[in-house]
Amino acid sequence: MIAAAFLAWLGAAFVVLSDGRRGLALGLVLVTAGLAVLAWPAGMALGAVAVGAGGLVAAGLCWRSGPPAWGIMPAGSTPRTVLCIASGLLGLWVASLVTTGTGAPLRFAVLVVVGLMAARILISRDSGVVLAGLAALALALAVAPGLAAQSPGPVPAIIGALVAAGVMFVAGPPAPGLSRAASPAPADKDAA
Amino acid sequence: MQPELLLAATAALGLAVVFAPPRVPRADLLTWGLLGLAAMAAMAIAPSLDVVILILLVLAVLQARLASKRDFATRLRAPILAVSLMALGVAFERMQGPVVLERLGAVGIVAGLAAAVGLLPWAHEFDPEESVVASPIPWIAFVGPLLAATVISQSRGVVPADAGDAFGAMLIGLGLLNMLWGSVGSWRTEGDAAAWRYSFMADWGLALCGFGLAIADGRAAALIILFSIVLGRFPLYLWSRQAIREKVPTDRPINLVVAAVLAGSAPFAGFPARVLLLRGATQLYWPLALVLAALMLLWLPASLRLGRSMGVPRGRQAVGVAIVLAVNVLLGVFPQPLLTLAGL
Repeated sequence: MIAAAFLAWLGAAFVVLSDGRRGLALGLVLVTAGLAVLAWPAGMALGAVAVGAGGLVAAGLCWRSGPPAWGIMPAGSTPRTVLCIASGLLGLWVASLVTTGTGAPLRFAVLVVVGLMAARILISRDSGVVLAGLAALALALAVAPGLAAQSPGPVPAIIGALVAAGVMFVAGPPAPGLSRAASPAPADKDAA
Repeated sequence: MQPELLLAATAALGLAVVFAPPRVPRADLLTWGLLGLAAMAAMAIAPSLDVVILILLVLAVLQARLASKRDFATRLRAPILAVSLMALGVAFERMQGPVVLERLGAVGIVAGLAAAVGLLPWAHEFDPEESVVASPIPWIAFVGPLLAATVISQSRGVVPADAGDAFGAMLIGLGLLNMLWGSVGSWRTEGDAAAWRYSFMADWGLALCGFGLAIADGRAAALIILFSIVLGRFPLYLWSRQAIREKVPTDRPINLVVAAVLAGSAPFAGFPARVLLLRGATQLYWPLALVLAALMLLWLPASLRLGRSMGVPRGRQAVGVAIVLAVNVLLGVFPQPLLTLAGL
């Protein structure tokens, strides 16, 4: 379980540190593997399968879209590296020392993946990167109900997996200025 | 409370589509409105807060796809912040540990809700020229009320009693902040469109205080305020956009009546809500009622300004404004049927 939690953190770190589609897809695969393994003992066997399938579909779509590059740790990515290490240490402290009870690996994985993906989406402008971050965030949300004392059932995990795969089908909107026809002009249209 | 708010949102969409000005693309409005309604219905029947958060994520992505001057990533920022804060909040609530963790969880859920709706301290970026569908207005005026009711109702099953006080205090604190900032902003800001947006925030402040009081009067006040946002302020804002663009402030009697609706004066819907809120606050802690009463006075100058910005409604818009006024009078004079329907 500890290895799965580390894998989820490593995958999230790859998504944060990559600007190319291959690096992002690799990160998604690692996040998927880690979270699917962690979901299984949390009473979410069916959910784990759904998370695995959804995450792999998302990673596959990510691999096929955008420029074919790895783009891992490009120049200027030092702050992101520091973020990954710091969030990992903070997550480890909260999951293992501040909180009690079983399921520390799942607690660690949920905290770091949600935190890192939120940071990645908030600091990014590239729609491909944002979509990969969204997919990983949806996977973390899919397994988060496993933290509850009672088994949440497979519904949240299945919905989360569907969202993770579905967001990768969403292409970003046309860049501003290139879509005058699609964007109603106030002078001749009230643009409701 | 959710079925009533869903009904109100459906009625608001109907009003917006049927009585839209001729130049408004009704098909777009209807399509996206129905999509929003579907998401709201899904939220209302969602089995857990996790599913509500996932639906919020989907809705945010779909809205961010719409063509706009703001790019995809920029428009996703506030909803993603909301999703992340709520998810971390719920995760903290589920972990066994010190009480401070539960309180942090409560803070995360309330802060996430504020970010989702677009309230202080995370007001969404607002462009007056942006289409209503792609702008932050649907979050604060259409989807937001049902989202808030759902999140607060589902949170009761997640937030333990120890952290319940922190949850209520956060709601009241954010409510007071939004009342002050929203009403002053609505009064003093330069553009009329921005003034309307601030006025939504001020109304939301009342609703958050009502939810935070966590007694029947508070919840009843919150429901009426949310109803008046969806079936009052929202359609009036839609119909004021043309006049705002043409910059034709008017001082006809209809503008004064609209100002009275927006100010929450008798006999309109905002009045019983304010009375219930003051009564609830007095029951809990009377100085809070004093602060609320003082802040409610700030609605007056802002509402007069917004009423003037409506212009003179003509044609189908005049019919729409008449219906909105009638609904608000009905809610103001007979709020009990609505409250009974909501089990309050």
